[in-house]
Amino acid sequence: MSRIGVFICHCGENISRTVDVERVAQEIGRLPGVSFSTDYKYMCSDPGQNLLKNAIKEQKLTHVVVAACSPRMHEKTFRKAVEAAGLNPFLCEMANIREHCSWVHENREEATVKAIDIVGMMVERVKKNRVLPTITVPVTKRSLVIGGGIAGIQAALDIADCGHEVILVEREPSIGGHMAQLSETFPTLDCSQCIMTPKMVDVANHPKIKLYTYSEIERVEGYIGNFQVTIKKKARSVDEDKCTGCGVCITKCPQKKIPNKFDCNIGLRSAIYVPFPQAVPNTPVIDRDNCTKFKTGKCGVCQKVCGPGAVDFEQQDTLIVEAVGAIVVATGFDLYTIDEKPKGSPIKGYGEFGHGKIPDVIDGMTFERLASASGPTGGKILRPSDGKEPKQIVFIQCIGSRAREKGISYCSKVCCMYTAKHTMLYHHKVHDGQAYVFFMDARTPGKSYDEFWRRSIEEEEAVYIRGMVSRLYQKGDKVVVMGSDIAVGVQVEIEADMVVLATAIQPQKGADSLAQKLGISYDKYNFYSEAHAKLRPVECATAGIYLAGACQGPKDIPETVSQASAAAAKVMTLFSKDQLEREPIVARVREFGCVGCFACKKVCAYGAVEEKEIRDRQGNLVKTVAFVNPGVCAGCGTCQATCPSKCVELDGYTDEQVIAMIEAL
Amino acid sequence: MKKKKMIISQETMDIDFVRKVEALSDTSVRRCFQCGKCSAGCPMATFMEHPPNRVVRLLQLGQWQRILAGRSIWYCASCETCSTRCPNKVHLASIMDALRKLSWDAEGASKESYVQLANKLFLQNIRTYGRQYEMRLAAVFNVKSGQFLKDLMLGPKLLAKGKLKMFHSKNKNLSEIEKIFTRIEEMRKKGEAL
Repeated sequence: MSRIGVFICHCGENISRTVDVERVAQEIGRLPGVSFSTDYKYMCSDPGQNLLKNAIKEQKLTHVVVAACSPRMHEKTFRKAVEAAGLNPFLCEMANIREHCSWVHENREEATVKAIDIVGMMVERVKKNRVLPTITVPVTKRSLVIGGGIAGIQAALDIADCGHEVILVEREPSIGGHMAQLSETFPTLDCSQCIMTPKMVDVANHPKIKLYTYSEIERVEGYIGNFQVTIKKKARSVDEDKCTGCGVCITKCPQKKIPNKFDCNIGLRSAIYVPFPQAVPNTPVIDRDNCTKFKTGKCGVCQKVCGPGAVDFEQQDTLIVEAVGAIVVATGFDLYTIDEKPKGSPIKGYGEFGHGKIPDVIDGMTFERLASASGPTGGKILRPSDGKEPKQIVFIQCIGSRAREKGISYCSKVCCMYTAKHTMLYHHKVHDGQAYVFFMDARTPGKSYDEFWRRSIEEEEAVYIRGMVSRLYQKGDKVVVMGSDIAVGVQVEIEADMVVLATAIQPQKGADSLAQKLGISYDKYNFYSEAHAKLRPVECATAGIYLAGACQGPKDIPETVSQASAAAAKVMTLFSKDQLEREPIVARVREFGCVGCFACKKVCAYGAVEEKEIRDRQGNLVKTVAFVNPGVCAGCGTCQATCPSKCVELDGYTDEQVIAMIEAL
Repeated sequence: MKKKKMIISQETMDIDFVRKVEALSDTSVRRCFQCGKCSAGCPMATFMEHPPNRVVRLLQLGQWQRILAGRSIWYCASCETCSTRCPNKVHLASIMDALRKLSWDAEGASKESYVQLANKLFLQNIRTYGRQYEMRLAAVFNVKSGQFLKDLMLGPKLLAKGKLKMFHSKNKNLSEIEKIFTRIEEMRKKGEAL
C-alpha cells in the first residue's frame, strides 16, 4: 500500500489567488493512498523543501506529489529534495496548478475544482511510478572541432591545452578561415595575419591536436560522450609526410592563370598551390579541375621537379573513423553575393546594382584583399577594371542584410565596423582620395567600437551619408551612385571610381547538410540554433555538440573567440567526469512480445533503436528484437506510440501511468 | 535649391569654407551625428527651411550655398538652446553666428530675409553721416527691398513723436569714423578680419 504525500504550493499569491489551496489539500487528503496532505506558501524555498523532507521521514512516505508550478521550472529541485530524504527521485511527480490552472483562470471555484482534478490525476499516476536507476554512459575524452577558422582554432587550442586530444577538421587546404584573409582588424587596426598566424602555427605544433585539412565530415554516429565520426580526407595529390614545403612545384607549374579564391578571385594562382604563403600546413594541393595532367594526361612537371617525390597523382580520397566524446561546430560564414541567384533560392540578387556585372563594384572581403599587404596588389588600393587608384570611393552598407525583400531580415552585425575600418585603411593609403559611406544606421555596440566609428568621420574624413542607394550604373569609367541623404532630404549623386558593398553574412555553404549529419537544428537562414538563446548560447539542443563562431549567427572576432573558449569550457566540463549521468526517461522493449518489425527503428529520430539477436543456450537464433540504446534515447516516446504490439514502454511515461491519470478524471 | 539633387564630389564639397566656419565658431561640425536634439529644442525651427541639424549636415557635406540661400541663419535667435543641449559639444549657436558673418561676402546669399541688406545700409549710413539717419535708412531699405509702402503709415507717428528726424545731422568727427572703416577694410583685404 502506498503512502503518498501531497504538497500544495501557494507560489506566494500566484496560485492561492485563484485556487483555494487549503481546500485542495483537504480534498486530496481523502483520496485512497494519500497519507499526508498539506499546503505551504513557497514549496521551493528552503523551509518548504525541509517540510517535504521531514514529512517523508516522519510519515514514512513512499511517493510524493508536489502541486506547484511547471515541472520545467522545479521538477529537478523537488526530485533532489526527495532524493536527499532517501527516496528514489523518480517517485516524485509534479502537478502543474500554476501555468495550467491559476494563471489561466479567474473563477476561484472552478479553478479550485480543476486544481483538485489535476492533483488527483498525478496521485493516481505516481502510484504506478517505478524506481528508476540513473543511467551512466562512458565518456570518450577526445573532441572533434569542425572548422579551422579563428573559432575552431581557439576552441581546439583551449581544449588541447587542458590535455585532451582534439581532432581539427578543415575543408580548405589550410586552416585560418576568413580571418586570415583580413588586412587589419577593428577597433585597434592590428594586422590580422600578425595575430592569426602564431595561433595557426600553435595548432600545427600542438602534440594534442590532430589536424585534418582538405577534409570533410562524412558521417556522424553515436551520442554524447561516444560519437563515431567518419572523416573524408580528400586527395591532395601531394604526400604530406614527404613534402618539405619548398614550393618548387608551385614556381614550375605551367598553369598559372587560375583565379585564387583566397584573394577573392582577383589574384591568380597555379594549379598546384598553397592558398597563401603562411598556410598551415604548408603543403601544396593540386586543383584537379584545372591541372593539365588531370585534364589531358600530359604535363606532370610538378612531379618531375619535386625533390622528395611527394607529388602523387594516384592519391585517392580516404575515409578515417575517429571516436570522440564531444563536437564543437565552428564552420563560420560566407558572404552574400549580389549576383543573380539560381532559381529556387529564397535569397534574391540586386538587379539595381548590376547583379555584380560592374567590374569596379566589389564586396568587403575583396577590399580586404586589396588592402592587405600580402594581397594581390601588395596592399595598394587599385580598382579591378584598369588597375587605377580610385580617388572617389563609395561604400554601401546593409547589402543583403536587413533587406526582407531580398530574403534576409537580420543585421550582419560586423559591416558597420568593417566599413568604418575600410574608410580608414583607404584614407591611410590614398591621401588625396575621398571616401563616402551610404548607411541606414551605424550599429557599433562593443568596447571602443563607437569611438572607432566616430574616428573614421571626425579624424579620417570619411563622409557618411544616411540613406540608401537606389541604383548603380556605369558611366564611362565611373560608377554613378544614386542615393539620398535623408538628413537633408535630397537626392545625392556621386560619380565614384570604385564601389565597395558591405554584403551580408550568411552561413557557410552546406551548413544545412552538415547539420543533418550531426543531428542539430538550424534556422531558416541555415544558422545553427543554440539550446537556449540566453542561458545556453554555446550548446546545441543535441547533447554533446557545441557551437562556436559565425555558424550560429553573425559575429565579430572578439565575440567569436569568446564563444570558442566558452564552447571549449563546456567540452572540458563534459570531460571532467569519467561517466556521464543522465535521466532514465528512456524507452525499453519488452522482448518477449517484440515481433521484430522494427517500426520503432524507422521512426526513431535519434537512431537509438538497434537490432538485438536472442539466442538459446545452444547458440541458435531464436528471434531478432528491437533494443533501445539508453545512451542515445532522448525519451521522446515516438517508438512507444508506434509499436503495433505495444511492446515498447517509455520509463516514467508508461501506458499504465497515463491510463491511470485518465481514469482518475 | 532646396530640393535640387546634390552632386557630391571633392570639387562640390567646399571644405575650405567649412574649415572657416569651424575656426570662427571654435567647434567641429564633423562631431555631429544627426541626433536632432538641436532642432527638437529650437524655438525658431518651425520658421526655418533648414532646421538646425540640417544646417550642420549641409556643412558636413560642404554645401554652404544651400544654407545661405535660405533664411535659417537669420531666424536663429541665438538663444543657445541647441548648444546647451548638444550631446556632442557642437556649438551650433556659434556656427550660426559664423555663417552670418561669412554670408557678408558670400555670393548667392539669401534675398528672402533682408537682415543682410539692413545691416549693409546701416553701416553705409554710419560711414556717410557718422551717425544713424533713420529716414534715409527706411527709404533706401524700402526701395532696395522692393517693398515701397512697407511701414509707411508709421512715419507720421514717429515724426510727430520726434523719433524720426526729417533732416540728417552729421557727426563732427567724421574723418575719425572714416579711419575706422578704412582700417577694417584693409584688415579684411589682408584676411586679418572678416
